[in-house]
Amino acid sequence: MFVIKRLLFVLLVVWSASTITFFIPRISDINPIRERFAELARLGGFSAGELEKIVESYSKAFGLDKPLMQQYFDYIGGVMTLDFGVSLNKFPKTVLMLIAESLPWTIGLILVTTILSFVIGNLVGALAAWPLSPKWVRGVSTSFILFQGVPPVLLAILLIFFVAFKLNILPIAGAYSIGTVPDFTFEFLLDVARHQILPGIALIFGSLGTWVLSMRGMGITIQGEDYVIFAEHKGLSSYTIFKDYYLRNALLPQVTALALALGNVITSAIVVETIFGLPGLGFVLITAIRSNDFLVIYGIVLFITIAVAVLMALVELLYPLLDPRVRQGQE
Amino acid sequence: MINYFKRNISLTIGLGLLIFLILFTLHGLLTVEFKQAYPLAVRPKQPPSLKYLFGTDFFGRDLYTAMVVGVWQTAIIGLLAGAAGTIIGIVLGFISAYFSGLVDVVIKFICQILTPIPAFLIQVVIASSIDKRDVTIITMAVVVFLLSWMAPTLVIRSQVLSMRERQFVAVAKLSGMNSLEIIFKEIFPNLLPFIAAAFVAQVFQAVFASFYLAVIGLGPLREPLLGNTIWAAQSQSAFFNGWWWWPVGPSVAMILILGSLALINMGLDEMANPRIRNKE
Amino acid sequence: MKISKLSIALLAITTAFTMLTTSLFAGGHSLAKVPREQTLVLGWSITSPIGVTNPFASTGYTHQEANNLMWEGLSYFGIFNDEEIPWLADSMEYTKSDYTQLTIKLNAMAQWSDGTPVTSKDVVFTFESQKNNNKLPYHANFKQFVDKVTAVDDKTVVVDFKMPAPRFKFQVLTLKFDTGIPIVPAHVLSKVDNVNEYEGGNDMPHSGPYNLVLWDANQKIYDLNTDWWAVKAGRISMPEVKRVVMFNIGGQVGQGMDVVAQRVVNNEFDATLDMRSSVIGNILRQNSKVTTHSADKPPYGYLDWWPNSLWVNTQLEPYSDARVRRAMSLLINRELINEIIYEGAGIATIYPFPLYPGLEKFANSAAVKKLEAELQPGLYDPDKSAELMKAAGFTMNGDDLWEKDGKTVGAVINGFEGIHSDIVPVLVEMLRNGGIDADINFGTDAYQNMADGKAGLYMFGHGASLKDPYTALELFHSRYSAALGTTAGSNRFSRYSNPEYDKLLDEMAPLGGDDPRFQELAAQALGIYWRDQIDIPVIQWLHRIPYNQTYWTNWPTIANPSLGMNGAFWAHTGMLVVSTLKSAK
Repeated sequence: MFVIKRLLFVLLVVWSASTITFFIPRISDINPIRERFAELARLGGFSAGELEKIVESYSKAFGLDKPLMQQYFDYIGGVMTLDFGVSLNKFPKTVLMLIAESLPWTIGLILVTTILSFVIGNLVGALAAWPLSPKWVRGVSTSFILFQGVPPVLLAILLIFFVAFKLNILPIAGAYSIGTVPDFTFEFLLDVARHQILPGIALIFGSLGTWVLSMRGMGITIQGEDYVIFAEHKGLSSYTIFKDYYLRNALLPQVTALALALGNVITSAIVVETIFGLPGLGFVLITAIRSNDFLVIYGIVLFITIAVAVLMALVELLYPLLDPRVRQGQE
Repeated sequence: MINYFKRNISLTIGLGLLIFLILFTLHGLLTVEFKQAYPLAVRPKQPPSLKYLFGTDFFGRDLYTAMVVGVWQTAIIGLLAGAAGTIIGIVLGFISAYFSGLVDVVIKFICQILTPIPAFLIQVVIASSIDKRDVTIITMAVVVFLLSWMAPTLVIRSQVLSMRERQFVAVAKLSGMNSLEIIFKEIFPNLLPFIAAAFVAQVFQAVFASFYLAVIGLGPLREPLLGNTIWAAQSQSAFFNGWWWWPVGPSVAMILILGSLALINMGLDEMANPRIRNKE
Repeated sequence: MKISKLSIALLAITTAFTMLTTSLFAGGHSLAKVPREQTLVLGWSITSPIGVTNPFASTGYTHQEANNLMWEGLSYFGIFNDEEIPWLADSMEYTKSDYTQLTIKLNAMAQWSDGTPVTSKDVVFTFESQKNNNKLPYHANFKQFVDKVTAVDDKTVVVDFKMPAPRFKFQVLTLKFDTGIPIVPAHVLSKVDNVNEYEGGNDMPHSGPYNLVLWDANQKIYDLNTDWWAVKAGRISMPEVKRVVMFNIGGQVGQGMDVVAQRVVNNEFDATLDMRSSVIGNILRQNSKVTTHSADKPPYGYLDWWPNSLWVNTQLEPYSDARVRRAMSLLINRELINEIIYEGAGIATIYPFPLYPGLEKFANSAAVKKLEAELQPGLYDPDKSAELMKAAGFTMNGDDLWEKDGKTVGAVINGFEGIHSDIVPVLVEMLRNGGIDADINFGTDAYQNMADGKAGLYMFGHGASLKDPYTALELFHSRYSAALGTTAGSNRFSRYSNPEYDKLLDEMAPLGGDDPRFQELAAQALGIYWRDQIDIPVIQWLHRIPYNQTYWTNWPTIANPSLGMNGAFWAHTGMLVVSTLKSAK
């Protein structure tokens, strides 16, 4: 029952997101196909020709001449079967193909950076709140909260300039070196890893502050809990108390927060990817936005929404496994 | 009072920073010539000097003036969107908690459904869809606010619900107060720290989101909004050309603004939730 | 410590997963290794759909993304030598004195990459398709001019025109810059059901020197076809570039150029798309191996064919009043533009065409010089501008902006962020200083606004004249004066209409560019363009392309004109640029 309820919820989220994304771009009367041809015309692909006729025939081919409501229902029907349509700009590629091509890069970046920043951030946050940590440790770790004020975009821009331009020790941009042919060799993987370092740092430090802040709050709350006090009286070593009683219990609610934070993480990743020229989802999305490739824009926004909604539902379903108290509460 | 500020260090530093920023901007607004924040006003591409405190950009904007106006505009967006989001949150939160039943279910449900949708993506879609002539400081605030009222609604709602169960409300009920009176005389004052924290969080979100939009070139392009200035510097390859002062100034300003808001938010959290209070 | 162990395990798993999927998705290709010194690396924003190499594919084919290395034309044009370079055709001559017939003789050795010879069948197929298929880019030209195309023998084609077509050979059949048509293989495309939907892919037989061997989201890789017909035919010696990598720098053309510039400095790129003027100077300062068309001197590049005007919608109030247009032009300080944006190089212009040899001669002719002195099209004079605005019924309001019937001149300049983000803010401020309520729109609807005539002002080029001024002046012919709300065809945004002007153009159409009568009429038409201020010419367009000589030399420059082609590797003539490079090692 609970599972079905969560599934319905995910469906509703997807439906509302797709409705929003469908209608918003229609406030303006931009004709994406014409903009596409315009771009070609601007670059000199067309010097003459009956632009309007071409535009018309393509609008028809992409179903843009149908009544709005029909387009809407076609669209919702497509979304529910994960069929986001074809890209106007990269025709005949489908949106799903574009997502599939770029997704591994984004998943890789997001997973690695999120886990690292989650681990580092929570450890630092816990130390900041732990009454037994030395004063300077608490001071230093608390000051990590200030990273909240540093948007990953700014970090990315500054890192490119200082590390890549000035010091020239890490690659400036791209997912791998120019002319390299993707291959499952150690050499290639090392090359890829080197290219991920700067964007990774930008993302980790950009999201660190939030974890430190919330973990610190959580930690202070937990200090007063009976089981911690009990452990203290039992005479356990402070290290054991820290990791087994304090850290573990404080960490649990943070896992839920992790799912909620995913939206923000993806947002940052998208902009950082664009700045570093990584061929992930964000890069594809920004390119699509710049060229009015509507279906790709909807497709990616929806895909991300679905991913976040599903992950949130999963965390809620799995949470009882992590925290016995919740499980008991439910039964 | 002073003792409290001594204890709540983050609130103190945050407020201090904020006051510094306000004074900087107010002083600037009173002394600068607004025209200098726009192109062709001064000698272009000058590094920071006594004459041009923060240097000048490629287009001949005085970056000190641009910073003053930019911080001011950022503040407008933050305050407008923050206030709008918080007010909607208070109203909906109270309605939801007060009427309970179906209304509560609907409001809560809508909030929950909208929460997982990545707001920034929707904002990007909106900002890139509206006619560029209509992109102003005000529309930026509206775009940012549209998908950010759910969090305060849920926070206020749950706080009102929990307060309804507290003793002082029960006492008030017994003494014959009607519901409206209870809300405004008993619950509302106790909620103030939460509302303040929600407001600051909203402002933070709004500043952050509008900054992102501006940095990727979706802001009102002629205005010296901090994100716009960085966007302009990027699109003229400022770093590569050695005009480092152009993007660095607004970056520092943005970090100070967001940093002060984060600190204040943390301080308010401590105030609203005494358990988090530092034990020192 | 369970949690840390868990996270390390998670991290390891995800890393492995990412690497695996990445290599699965992108991998599976095995290409021969080519050393860097035999590889040419080009930086470009690749936007066309992966796999589209067929010139007749109508969504997304562009010659610019190295497809020009696959497809060749009947002849090329070396703009800086002002001479034709015969290619697939040995000759292409008008065989009737009134320009109504053209005879094309193909090269005997010309052949496709699959070994099939290039014959008159291919030419006829290419021309007939353009004439009959309205999705092809030159359909309108063929429909308007071409009567019939006949294959006389295997290597000879005769084209008969419906009317005198003195410019057809140059405009349509000669490849230069971004115009002209390549010849396509009839034996491939005639077997395809729908030529507009056929992608082409990596293996489509083609006549050019390079074969596409890999194309993914990051890059396109081309390898030399050592069996290229042009070498055997003696057109050119064997290219030294064994492999061309066109690397996708992403984004819209012109954005994030500092990263690209740095990669040129680091010798990662051998050439890239053109740069802003401040950036190119800094590249040269940081890497002495990098040069440009004009070596290390401003303007660090060559004249492109795309001079930019502030286009004005002449049907929209208040721009329909020539006085308002003139008043705005009088607010543009062209000297200041040169100084601020172009480090003193003389880029600002008063013409709607680029000053290439033939056009420069025209611009310097006595008749044009006289008109220029009389009409002063480049004058900067705010006082005079204010007088004109007053005469047009405007009054200055409290915000120092001109106002009429309570409305200011809502002059939003529509342009393109990647290429106009330096000039447009400056123009906006110049107009504002003169009381015009100007603003910027770099949105994705910018072009739509231009085409529909919703907005009044557009920053855009005149991609038209190269040899004589006819095509540039023809942009303002009444036949393109579409009503507001309908589309201004083919980038003719002025919507200008004037029978007096049309008469001049109609008389010019059948005349060759060297005809004295043509020159006389052209001067008169240019006079009207200035007098009525049809649009406001602002800047010449320059290509400031960095040529890195670390690995490759013999780039076309002023000192080394090569075959006279411009250095843009993305233009049709880019094939000649790449094929004539010499290894530096």
